[in-house]
Amino acid sequence: MTSWVQRLSERSRLGLLTLVPIFFLLLLLIVFPPDGNERAAWAQFIGRFHPLLIHLPIGLILLVPVLEVVGRHPRFPYLRQSADFVLGLATFSAIAAAAFGWCLARNGGYSGPLVTQHMWGGLFLSLLCWTCWMLSNRADDRQPSSLYLIALTITIALMIWTGYRGGQLVRGEDHFTKVMPGGMRRFLRVKLASEGMAATSDNTFYGARIQPIFQGHCITCHGRDKHKSNLRVDSYDSLVRGGKHGPVIKAANFHGSELFRRITLSPSDDDFMPKGKRPLSAYEVKLIELWIAAGASNTLAVDAIKNVPSRETPNAEVTFETVDTAAVAKERSNLASVVAQLQRQYPNLLEYESRASANLVVNASLLGDRFRDADVAALAPIADRIVRADFSRTAITDQSAHTISSMKHLRVLRLTDTRITDATVNALSGCEQLDSLSVFGTGVTHGSLLTLTHLPKLRHAYVGGTAIRADATIPDTLKNKILF
Amino acid sequence: MFESEKKMRGLDPSPLSQQDAGIDVHPDLRHAFLQAQTRRHFLRTLGSGLGTVFMGTLAAKYAISDTAATPPSAHAELDFTRDPSTPLSVLPPQFAAKARRVIYLHMAGAPSQLELFEHKPELTRLDGQDCPASFLAGKRFAFINGVPKLLASQYPFHQAGQSGQWISDRLPHLEKHVDDVCVIRSMRTDQFNHAPAQLLVHTGNARLGYPSFGSWVLYGLGTENQNLPGFIVLLSGGKTPDGGKQLWGSGFLPSVYQGVQCRSHGEPVLYLENPRSVSRPMRRNMLDAIDAIDQQTYADFGNPETVTRIAQYELSFRMQMEATDAMDIRKEPVSVRARYGSKLDKASFANNCLVARRLAERGVRFIQLYHWGWDSHGAAATEALNVGFADRCRETDQPIAALLDDLKQRGLLEDTLIVWGGEFGRTSMRENRGGQEMKWVGRDHNPGAFTMWLAGAGIRAGYSHGHTDDMGYEIVQDPVDIRDLHATMLYLLGFDHHKLNYRFQGLEQKLTSVKPARVVGEILA
Repeated sequence: MTSWVQRLSERSRLGLLTLVPIFFLLLLLIVFPPDGNERAAWAQFIGRFHPLLIHLPIGLILLVPVLEVVGRHPRFPYLRQSADFVLGLATFSAIAAAAFGWCLARNGGYSGPLVTQHMWGGLFLSLLCWTCWMLSNRADDRQPSSLYLIALTITIALMIWTGYRGGQLVRGEDHFTKVMPGGMRRFLRVKLASEGMAATSDNTFYGARIQPIFQGHCITCHGRDKHKSNLRVDSYDSLVRGGKHGPVIKAANFHGSELFRRITLSPSDDDFMPKGKRPLSAYEVKLIELWIAAGASNTLAVDAIKNVPSRETPNAEVTFETVDTAAVAKERSNLASVVAQLQRQYPNLLEYESRASANLVVNASLLGDRFRDADVAALAPIADRIVRADFSRTAITDQSAHTISSMKHLRVLRLTDTRITDATVNALSGCEQLDSLSVFGTGVTHGSLLTLTHLPKLRHAYVGGTAIRADATIPDTLKNKILF
Repeated sequence: MFESEKKMRGLDPSPLSQQDAGIDVHPDLRHAFLQAQTRRHFLRTLGSGLGTVFMGTLAAKYAISDTAATPPSAHAELDFTRDPSTPLSVLPPQFAAKARRVIYLHMAGAPSQLELFEHKPELTRLDGQDCPASFLAGKRFAFINGVPKLLASQYPFHQAGQSGQWISDRLPHLEKHVDDVCVIRSMRTDQFNHAPAQLLVHTGNARLGYPSFGSWVLYGLGTENQNLPGFIVLLSGGKTPDGGKQLWGSGFLPSVYQGVQCRSHGEPVLYLENPRSVSRPMRRNMLDAIDAIDQQTYADFGNPETVTRIAQYELSFRMQMEATDAMDIRKEPVSVRARYGSKLDKASFANNCLVARRLAERGVRFIQLYHWGWDSHGAAATEALNVGFADRCRETDQPIAALLDDLKQRGLLEDTLIVWGGEFGRTSMRENRGGQEMKWVGRDHNPGAFTMWLAGAGIRAGYSHGHTDDMGYEIVQDPVDIRDLHATMLYLLGFDHHKLNYRFQGLEQKLTSVKPARVVGEILA
């Protein structure tokens, strides 16, 4: 026994010794695989260095072919001899990186095929690295053996694959394909995750109302790639199966359902879910409550539950639009000079809708009688950009109808107490964005109503003080929109 | 001292001193002084001289950071600098705004939510019993002593409108608009006395010296109508609110942004009219002369307050024409005045509501109404829940409903934000001043829970936000702090409350101050 070991070179002995941690890692991976539970924080802490350390073997392995190729040049023969050392270093660092990776996966609450594949990839990579290292020992042999070249090629291929899987773990399944140019994606026949997700039916309450909630809040930890506590909620079956503590949903008993208990705890509670993330909104909790109460079925029709709150509390969490000054300036550029000129001509008449927009807001109401049809005509060059116009109490007449009708993006139009009549209103049929129209105190009559029915986005029409009467025949589609 | 020294050294470059040079009576003295200057003097003053130059460049950059000449500071992402001659010119909001103007109806003295919006049958059941000890532990009251008795609502409640909101019988007119308003039942403050609580509501800070909400809005957006103040304050109820005029002050903002108090009876702004025998052209001449002097002063010192002064003179000159017209409710038809319950012979909240509508139509950015007299302690008939409180309801209910009517009818409610509320709430316990039962029924101050309502631009109509406990004493769900309300109002006006700021004392000061404020998204349509 001792004899053959002694006969081996020092280098080979070191090589044999290196196999020990590799097999130890193999043992760890088999006996203690990642199971979705979080464990010792210190081990997690060490594990956090895995993404950092991993770049060392990557760099070293990629260096080897460079050394081999450049080393063929008569000027750099010594480079080929370095390959052996670099491979040795790569093997050690690959083992270390894999060990750190195990710390992270085992203790950081990972599980699922993605992380498993990545880990096996890492393990085999260290083994392959070791093989290359062993094969690269050819002090006298000038020509690298074909076995060595094959092993090196496989190593690099495996490294790329493992690295890609690791990237998916960190950045998300489609971090790469998501931003891939469309043509390339079609050529490679890559499907986006979102394209393949339409499996759940939108006709069921579960598919339309419940699954999107899980999708939005839960699947980063309880999805295909990570199953913390062995729980997956990315499909109905896995949701019903539950996690390591058993089922999380008891049909018709939301108070007894572990899932419901956890999402309704105080966010500071240890058991609260989603841990460390934005809590579910009251509306979402209500939906889950109703769904469980109704039997937590995946076949229940979407409209089967009657007392569902009619709508989500809108914009419960408000986000602020940021102003991209450069983009806005660019958008404004081709009308800026006209706007500036009009602003000089009519102080305080015209302003941009906001700092983030090239849309314009016109308020002529303060100018009163001094604002006439000719002044409306002056707005023609920028008519397309006006989203809000107030001509109340000005001296405009139906002669302005044409200019006003060219304001195709108008959302709000106020013609309160002006001399306009049906002619102006009937000219508005092209203003498809119009949301609110006031013809209060004008000469408008029933002759306008037909036009109003054809405005697709109209929500409010103020017709008080006109010849239009509440008791007269108002088209049904306008009944909720007209205010007298 | 410094001036005279400069003159003695003959260093003053200002035109004034050059004019004076002809009558310089101390040439000898100056000569002697210059002769006495040695190299040591020169070296000694050199250091401080360089220091002064350095400070001068810094001062130009920071101390007067609000003049148009200096670039906005690196932290301020939005630029609010304007041409100094038009400090009230319109600036677009940060993002597209729902609200273009605000009408704020402040019920000074803090109306009781338990007599208006908070229907609490459990409190009614326990009427007259001692209040639980938990209500008193760690609490400070203005007047309550010992163990007070629980006090049921003094008026019957019923549900109204499609939304089924509970409302008492004191607001029969507002009831018709119950589906237009959004009631926040879970307002809270940390001030339990009127003046600091009002300051907190209107300036975001319980201490003096901070700009009011209206000032911030005027600073951020300017005002469309240059012939009227952009921020107008109208008082009724017989007294100025306890917080005083600081409630519409501009704090550290240039004072051009402060609110202008107007009257709805008699001359709208005192001394606005020209004195007898002073004609409008004569007034113009006078203002031109004053302007020339002020311009010179501004050129010399760069103090923005000088600009404010110039702007105010010009504004009052333009206002002579327009303010009188805007405030003149005699121009409204009798039928309209009747709907508001407005009487021409005296100032009233009804008149102010009518004026508020006229001002809203004329593009005034921020219209602030105060109605005093809601402090229903029960120490006298005028402040008893069963007497004075009922009067306040009568004085305000009809005009507020008429204002909502008018704005809604003209489409103005779509872009006008209406806010109604006091500075805090009232206790679920009957006040027992001096530990004894009082002749009149009243409640003490409760900063822990009160009700406000909002209506109009971007507000989720017919919605009720937050809940208090069965006694209406503490909030159990969705508390809204004053700074949250401010952030929400600014959001509706098109601003991220972090971004509407002004550099003062080395900080990017903002209305919502340093504690995190949340836009109450639930109440937005």
